Amino acid sequence: MRSPRTMISIGAALVSLALVLAGCGGQDDDAAQSGTGTFKLWHYESANGAMGKAWDKAIEVFKAEHPGVTVEFERKAFEQIQQNASMILASDQAPDLMEYNKGNATAGLLSSKGLLTDLSDEVTGRGWDKLLSPSLQTTARYDEKGVMGSGSWFGVPNYGEYVMVYYNKDLFQQHGVAVPKTLDELTKAMDTFVAKKITPLGMAGAEYPAGQLYYQLALSKADRSFVDNYQLYKGPVSFDADPLKYGAETFRQWVDKGYVSQRSASLKAEDMGTAFIAGKTPMIVSGSWWYGRFSSEIKKFQWGTFLFPGNKLNAGSSGNLWVVPEQSKNKKLAYDFIDITMRPEIQTILGNNGGVPVNADLAKVTDLKNKELIANFAAITAADGLAFYPDWPVPGYYDVLVAGGQSLINGSKNPQQVLTELGKAYEQGVSEIENG
Amino acid sequence: MPSSTLSRVQARPSRGYWWYLLPGAIAFTVVVAVPFAANIYLSLTKWSGIGDPRFVGLDNYTRLLHDEVFWTSFRNTAAMVIAMVVVPTLAGLVLAATLFDVIGRRFGPKAASFLRATFYLPQVLPVVVAGILWGWLLRPDGAVNAFAEAIGLGAHDWLGDPGTALPMVMLVMIWVQIGYPVVIFMAALQRVDPDLYEAAEIDGASWWHRFTAITLPQIRPETFVVTLTCTIAALKVFGPVWALTRGGPNNATTVPSYFAYNAFFNKLQVGYGAAVATALTLLIVAISIGFLKAQGRVEEAS
Repeated sequence: MRSPRTMISIGAALVSLALVLAGCGGQDDDAAQSGTGTFKLWHYESANGAMGKAWDKAIEVFKAEHPGVTVEFERKAFEQIQQNASMILASDQAPDLMEYNKGNATAGLLSSKGLLTDLSDEVTGRGWDKLLSPSLQTTARYDEKGVMGSGSWFGVPNYGEYVMVYYNKDLFQQHGVAVPKTLDELTKAMDTFVAKKITPLGMAGAEYPAGQLYYQLALSKADRSFVDNYQLYKGPVSFDADPLKYGAETFRQWVDKGYVSQRSASLKAEDMGTAFIAGKTPMIVSGSWWYGRFSSEIKKFQWGTFLFPGNKLNAGSSGNLWVVPEQSKNKKLAYDFIDITMRPEIQTILGNNGGVPVNADLAKVTDLKNKELIANFAAITAADGLAFYPDWPVPGYYDVLVAGGQSLINGSKNPQQVLTELGKAYEQGVSEIENG
Repeated sequence: MPSSTLSRVQARPSRGYWWYLLPGAIAFTVVVAVPFAANIYLSLTKWSGIGDPRFVGLDNYTRLLHDEVFWTSFRNTAAMVIAMVVVPTLAGLVLAATLFDVIGRRFGPKAASFLRATFYLPQVLPVVVAGILWGWLLRPDGAVNAFAEAIGLGAHDWLGDPGTALPMVMLVMIWVQIGYPVVIFMAALQRVDPDLYEAAEIDGASWWHRFTAITLPQIRPETFVVTLTCTIAALKVFGPVWALTRGGPNNATTVPSYFAYNAFFNKLQVGYGAAVATALTLLIVAISIGFLKAQGRVEEAS
């Protein structure tokens, strides 16, 4: 339980770390230049996931290529990094290389405060920029205010993720439903399931899935300039008009028509995923992060994926970033490690374990499903179709979106009321970022 | 002996005792006073947690007064006080008296102890575990809905509907809290002179008369302790809300400590979160002082 006393202690810790920050400067370790010393690496990928397996191999390669260097690897929890990164990076305990979340509120914020190393010279020098499409580069570059999309490179992503539709092939076959290619076909497919008293679309209002469906629907009416305005503040965003109006209104219509259960407001993403794994749900709209898990856990039925029908833009982005803390004592070793993770041999491990690599040797990706996953991502990025995520624009917007999604599901507010609340929080957040 | 000499004699040992307070005073300064002062300072700044805080005076407090979610969180705290103080204390009084006076007499002290332990069991569970457990029971395909459907009532998304989410959290908190007053009150009843009950019974007093005329006045100090500690717990409640609803749906179950946590960690508004924490701390201190003074007055009067 977070008592006020705990919060006060946290506050005190933050103050003292701010003082540390003020007093600390960057330094480079000579040992790194000579290829000896200790290299501290942190990431938060699970050991049996695609990224975890790939990075394990990268560590092996790194050790072989740097025999005089001791690698100190620590696997952290996502929450640990999410909530403490700023304090850690401001101290002399910072690692030499760290995985970190992409976006204005995370990597952008830290870069604007001078806690991350500007990687621009390394990125061009080592040719990493040539391996990353423009939409993947968006989350790696931040301007002086910490807004993504332009400015210097403060992180390097080396995998991707995107939102798609997962479907239960057996249920589709059993009820004579074909894989939809347009939004109309998707709604007709859902009508078929509703007529059979099956809720066609799994949902979880208490976490990200509702916000992502609302955004996918909005994106069906959006173009790149909308995404640039919404995510990069390049122009005004109207919450009273399409595409956001269409997103919220269609979401509510889908609830009214029984495509989405009105009783899913309290469910978490895990509930939605496990219901799909259990074969109870014909479809879910969610991200590629489920892919590896579904591959290993779904044994009783056939499943597949398709892109959200008709959308040219899809929620998705680069994966998390490798960032080099300004306090890193071995920056050159950090760059060497990033370089290894970019190699086709490591990227292929991602591809063979349900990840979405950016530079794999596709001839060596053996699983047909994985090939399809990677091909779909390649198609999206080739068409400049990554639209990031709806909660990215401002810090704390995730909770606002969750609240909005829950209201659309349980009908406690109409779409217009939800849009007004989303717009108010968005404008306030953007104004705070722009005015510092 | 002149009175002044007597005063000096009495004063000498008390000056010596001050040293014994020193470790506590140092600990209080380090653990409570300094962080609280730092928190007050932070509440007067705008800060994302990194870099230098920018002094903004009372801006965070002004914003707080106009923040609808802040007021919602305090309204929800009132509901928590009902669920964690009023209902458990009243029910705990009746249950403790029944266990002690009726069950204990008819079925023996072991039966009363066993039932007391059952009531206390939820207090032993970590509150987040209790929250997750109730989350399973209340989910759309959970046991509560299965039962509701079996008896002909429709299923409902108890924690996903703003109309039912807060009552459900309250219900869980009543379940969690009720064992605490039962145990305290039963311990209190052990020290009540049995002759009082016996005399009342001989005079023909009913159970209710005995309860109101003997039990309640006799265990008044414990009632104060229970009410004060439960009120403080209700004001700073966080764990169950985090585990059950994360303050949703649409802030229907937000409480001040969750609101502050959200500002600190999700919105990176450290100054604003510190203002919420300061307001909450001051409220708790004020209520505690009020309680202690009221207790002092009542004890003096009796």
